[in-house]
Amino acid sequence: MAKEKFFGGFMQHLVSEERVIEETKKSIGESLRIDPASIAAENSLIQNLGAESLDFLDINYRLEQAFGIRIARHFVLEHVEELFGEGAAIDDKGCLTERGAQLLKIRLVDHQDVLKAGMELDQATALITVQSMARGIMDILSSLPESCPHCGGARWKSDDGARIGCGACGKDAVFRNGDELIQEWLKRVQEEQKIFPS
Amino acid sequence: MEHDSFAKKVALITGSSRGIGNAIARRFAGAGCDVVVNYRKGGGASQRQGEALCGDLRSMGRRAELVQADISVKEPVSRMFEEIDKNFGRLDFLVLNAARAPFKPLEKLLERELRQLVETNFFGHLFCVQQALPMLAKTQGKVVFISSLGSRFYNPAYPLGSMKAAMECVVRDLAESLRDRKVAVNAICAGLTRTDSLKVLRQYWEGLDHLPERCFVEPDEIADVVLFLCGPESRGILGQTLIVDRGTSNRLHAFAAVS
Repeated sequence: MAKEKFFGGFMQHLVSEERVIEETKKSIGESLRIDPASIAAENSLIQNLGAESLDFLDINYRLEQAFGIRIARHFVLEHVEELFGEGAAIDDKGCLTERGAQLLKIRLVDHQDVLKAGMELDQATALITVQSMARGIMDILSSLPESCPHCGGARWKSDDGARIGCGACGKDAVFRNGDELIQEWLKRVQEEQKIFPS
Repeated sequence: MEHDSFAKKVALITGSSRGIGNAIARRFAGAGCDVVVNYRKGGGASQRQGEALCGDLRSMGRRAELVQADISVKEPVSRMFEEIDKNFGRLDFLVLNAARAPFKPLEKLLERELRQLVETNFFGHLFCVQQALPMLAKTQGKVVFISSLGSRFYNPAYPLGSMKAAMECVVRDLAESLRDRKVAVNAICAGLTRTDSLKVLRQYWEGLDHLPERCFVEPDEIADVVLFLCGPESRGILGQTLIVDRGTSNRLHAFAAVS
């Protein structure tokens, strides 16, 4: 989605997809004490790299510092339950519902074959890969506004290929936060596909 | 502290593969104890770090065993204590350190999150105490609960604080009800400690990283007080929660600067 729309053009000059993946591997490597060179984009953070929930928070913090963004604090299924009610995505046994699986297949396009109703939540979060994490970052970076909210300037720059700043006043760019973007995406998908009862 | 007070004794620290628990395990081993390191989730960083910790403790000349058990479920807790009885034949010190909680304001917690909050951070500790009691009564053992400043101060998106407060009451209650069995129960209220768990708070508490260095406690400082509470020098302390925060909570202004 975001990749085709933004990362092929304007954003690619500021922060390349390669850089996003490199920083993601670097943050994971620092947090889990693994050599970044040994990390593949398709590696699952939980299954292949041994990350736990505490580690996700540390990895996210490092990436937030690297790019000047705010990554989502909550997984997409938690947002589903906040918007559409407890039990909408995860049943009382902690397993994916039919609608939860349907929604996740849209979000995690690379894992459509394995996503099924009845899957434990832990198995679903184990599908988060280095690549999917990087995509989440690119989605946030793609929310860069057209002009600087501080000075109105319309020129952005990046000195290090990661943090974006205003070319006029020098202040850090302000992006939409990851949780807001997930909720917007969910509302859009719900409008189009009507997965959850209103 | 007297080495003889801990030599050949056995300590179980729940949730000790990482963080404060890891430091406590090392401290007990350093004082002469054999140690049981408990962790919850297999196959990840906790197991890896737990195995490394046990390796380090063994190289200090101690027996160390890694036991996986989710304390929120009674059956694994029972099995953990059966294993301790079988492999060590005794338990002298029980440190209730494990914690697990969602990070959301209380009013946003889903039912399953509320249940997880209470099942790990209240039920879990009580399951451990109940199962440990037969062994602790034989050794006139000690129980120490690791609480946090969240028991008495608001932290954003930190429902765990309510469980810490509840457990500080449990400590007082148990100290009285277990007097006859001569099992001493106390708690430590830990200040801001630089562990992986603190990295969670910094996601929700803007400016946490900019607090003065003196506000932060080292895990070893917590571990030292745990050891003190398990030794004969603390025999006059019962049912108490000792605050170990380098005095941070003495002053209002340290927290007023952040929202």
